[in-house]
Amino acid sequence: MKTPAPADLQRWSEELARNPASLAFLPLARAHRRLSRRDVALKLTLQGLEAHPANVEAHALLALLYLEEGDRAKAADEWSIVLRLKPGNFEALRGMGFRHLEQNNIPKARQHLERAALIRPDDTAVQEALRLLRQREAALRARAADSAAPAETATAEPTGSAAHETEPWSPVEDPTPAAPATVPTPSTVTEPAPARPESVRGDDPEHAFDDLLQSGPVLGALLLDSRGLVLAGSFKGRAHADEIGAILGAAVDEAVRTVEYLSLGGWEGLILEFGSAVLHVRPIAGQGIAVLAAAPDAPMGWVLRATAGLAERAARMLEVPA
Amino acid sequence: MSDVYVDTVSRLSRVPGVRGAILVEAAGGVPVTAEVDASISPRAVAALAAALFQRTASVSTTAGLGRLRRFQLETAGGHVLMAGAGELILVVLVDDDGQLGMVRLETQRAAESLI
Repeated sequence: MKTPAPADLQRWSEELARNPASLAFLPLARAHRRLSRRDVALKLTLQGLEAHPANVEAHALLALLYLEEGDRAKAADEWSIVLRLKPGNFEALRGMGFRHLEQNNIPKARQHLERAALIRPDDTAVQEALRLLRQREAALRARAADSAAPAETATAEPTGSAAHETEPWSPVEDPTPAAPATVPTPSTVTEPAPARPESVRGDDPEHAFDDLLQSGPVLGALLLDSRGLVLAGSFKGRAHADEIGAILGAAVDEAVRTVEYLSLGGWEGLILEFGSAVLHVRPIAGQGIAVLAAAPDAPMGWVLRATAGLAERAARMLEVPA
Repeated sequence: MSDVYVDTVSRLSRVPGVRGAILVEAAGGVPVTAEVDASISPRAVAALAAALFQRTASVSTTAGLGRLRRFQLETAGGHVLMAGAGELILVVLVDDDGQLGMVRLETQRAAESLI
């Protein structure tokens, strides 16, 4: 986690002072959290939510702040809001899964954790929680079998999950001494690095497209996975590849919904023109996303052609058709 | 309603290749004025487009990219152009074979005239 620059803190504070409804409260609150000033981060986030009550990132940040304070009930309330606003939010699914597991609400824990595992199959905390959940389910099944046929318990095998799904849920003691004493939480788990395709591993993925960066207008070139996590490439200057990936992951989600609603066929690209860069984004056979960033005054036709070249290279790395 | 808004949207919707244009109030995601085919719901497009534009714009500063000016969604069946105009967003739906260069230029001019 990088330390926020004092200049950024000042800029966001000034922006917020000028315009109390500004979204600068979010990076400012995150920065204060990183600096262990959680009370300030909490105040900023709560104030920001007054102006932006449907801001998903703010609710997610508030959940994290409550969790770090040890207030898991309030954290769960915020994750619930996040899931109402964005049903596929991984952090909220994971957090609610842990919360339900902690309360031994097995069906709801399973529901949330399995959805989280679909989004990030390599998340170790989710996998650990699912392992714990399966142990508890097995214990419930064994207990049900004990009640039904006490004479046969020594040799009886569990008969599937239907028994515990139809009987009323009731809290049980953790049946397995080997199981973790506490349910993992997002704050206790280190985020694993995204899994890279075999063809990307072993090289220096960060510098995979450095030759493109030698071209004047190119500010960055990235290959992202379908979740917006960086697989290869980098950006010049102030922009940060991981943050760009996060922006684009969110933008692509919204774009796909828009395209589906308008029945426009599949999405073929996004062009985002910012004050200090133009980003062209292209999907690669459903397996990844190529991103080329260019100077804002670069000719658009040139940007499109450069991105096509990047997408071809990225497709070769992923071993899929361009 | 301001004639400027109506005139701007009307002028844009007559550019060859443009299927429709909608002026959207950014914060609420609601249409201010629209000229679109009857098969398209301006309210739904406004809500989706505003969410897409605002979501991207809200985090762009954090990443050091500056203000989001324009957003173009490319699809197999056409393009959706969005341009920020202060507290408004101009949304233009373009045919797949539309003259994008011309539409982009007109959209930018229209957006600047609204600020």
